[in-house]
Amino acid sequence: MASRIRRVYAVVGRAISFAADAGTSFRRNGLMTVAAVTTIMVALLVVGTAVLLGLNLSHVAATLEAQVEVVAFLRDGLSSSALTRVQETIVAIPEVASVQFVSRADALGRLRQRLGDSAAFSDLESSNPLADSLEVRLVDPARARVVAAAISDVSGVDEVTYGAQVLDRLLALIQGVRVLAGVLTLFLSGVALVVVVNTIRLTVIARQREIEIMRLVGATRWFVQWPLLLEGVLEGTVAAGGATVVLAGLYALGAARVASALPFFPLVSVTSGVQSVAIVVAATGVIVGAAGSLIAVRRFVTS
Amino acid sequence: MVQFEDVTKVFSNGVNALRRVSLRIEPGEFVFIVGPTGTGKSTLLRLIYRDELPTSGRVTVYQRDVTRLRPRGVAQLRRRLGVVFQDGRLLPNRTAYENIVFALRVIGAPAEELRPRAMRVLALVGLGARADAMPLELSGGEQQRVSIARAIVNNPPLLLADEPTGSLDPNSSWEIIQLLSQINLQGTTVLVTTHNKTIVDILRRRVIQLAGGQVVRDQSRGLYAVEA
Repeated sequence: MASRIRRVYAVVGRAISFAADAGTSFRRNGLMTVAAVTTIMVALLVVGTAVLLGLNLSHVAATLEAQVEVVAFLRDGLSSSALTRVQETIVAIPEVASVQFVSRADALGRLRQRLGDSAAFSDLESSNPLADSLEVRLVDPARARVVAAAISDVSGVDEVTYGAQVLDRLLALIQGVRVLAGVLTLFLSGVALVVVVNTIRLTVIARQREIEIMRLVGATRWFVQWPLLLEGVLEGTVAAGGATVVLAGLYALGAARVASALPFFPLVSVTSGVQSVAIVVAATGVIVGAAGSLIAVRRFVTS
Repeated sequence: MVQFEDVTKVFSNGVNALRRVSLRIEPGEFVFIVGPTGTGKSTLLRLIYRDELPTSGRVTVYQRDVTRLRPRGVAQLRRRLGVVFQDGRLLPNRTAYENIVFALRVIGAPAEELRPRAMRVLALVGLGARADAMPLELSGGEQQRVSIARAIVNNPPLLLADEPTGSLDPNSSWEIIQLLSQINLQGTTVLVTTHNKTIVDILRRRVIQLAGGQVVRDQSRGLYAVEA
């Protein structure tokens, strides 16, 4: 028991001394460390911005997707039995989730509500130019084009429209943003990596004698390398913290602006947006820091 | 304790430091390795503490083929070896005491052992009173004593000293050699490379002479040079 406690004690003590080592060289290579942290932070800002942009575009797309429906306008003067037949035929299409009948009177009512009551509508009531229609919801909105084609073949259906054109463009935009963000992230992460490698190299140079003596008296490889790895991870973590704070601030500000200008725009909430960003940014920062120091250790601390 | 079998070392820059060296060092011996600069004396020591690998041949230390050690094994080997250099290799920003504690910490010595062990070896090398001096406040000879103290703090069976008196005045050199002899008398095998003819000639220990990377003389109770 006592020896166990002592061992725990020793491990904790060693962890503290490693952290202190990492902290010391953080201070010693001041300028270079600031450069490294800043570079990682810039890379992480881009990563975070891309994440937020992607999240919001996906959110918009999801909202639109849920609203995508195929509308089948029916031929004038369809008998009620013919109407039932058309409805049954459409429901039988596998991709169709539900069908709802909207009479021309209902359609006019909706239009009236949306455009605001005006005198012109009372004229229309007697000669309603709208057609009866069926609103078709889909299981998979991406299949809108195919389903629309199928429905237009049903007899009794006059014309079919579907709102997927906007969605198609949006999906293409999301794809583009993803690719661009990926390329930028990769490039900036690469730059950050190089800077991290260099800060660790400076530490290795500053501690060359210590490292040499450590090796000479029989330090294990891990004992020599731990503080260096920790230093890189620390740089990544600090940068991630900074980037998250900046992004959170900007997003909160931007979200407030958008919300007041476009009240119905489906924006990802600040809490959940910042949460996702924090996770991605922290992970990327730590990975870049760890990878950079690992490369430096492999290259500059030869066994 | 140490055995070289047909060891050749060619560095990547083409320098052939050792050529087919075979030798054997028994426990408890005190051995001088002599020869002009660049004849492979340091390389020979570096092969023992596995700072270098032989190009061909086999180096055995403590009955272990050191060329086959994994990194962990190398660390373990070095914990059982003491190494001393001409320049002492102390950390300039730490006191004599801290330099020794540093070495103990590196190998994970328990915290409560640090002070007694460090103070014991400092007393052994005659620097008990100067434990808190920084290396620059110490004379060359004293620095070398700290370096020796650090090398023997783990009670290694083998102590390697590469030109330990190379930058010392005759008096200090003599004190260092006496210290090494004293350590040897307590059972530690000691290997010393040196240029110092006087010391070798007075001590009359085993002498291995290298020339052009080859052993040209291996003589017990030898002199620095063969008498004409």
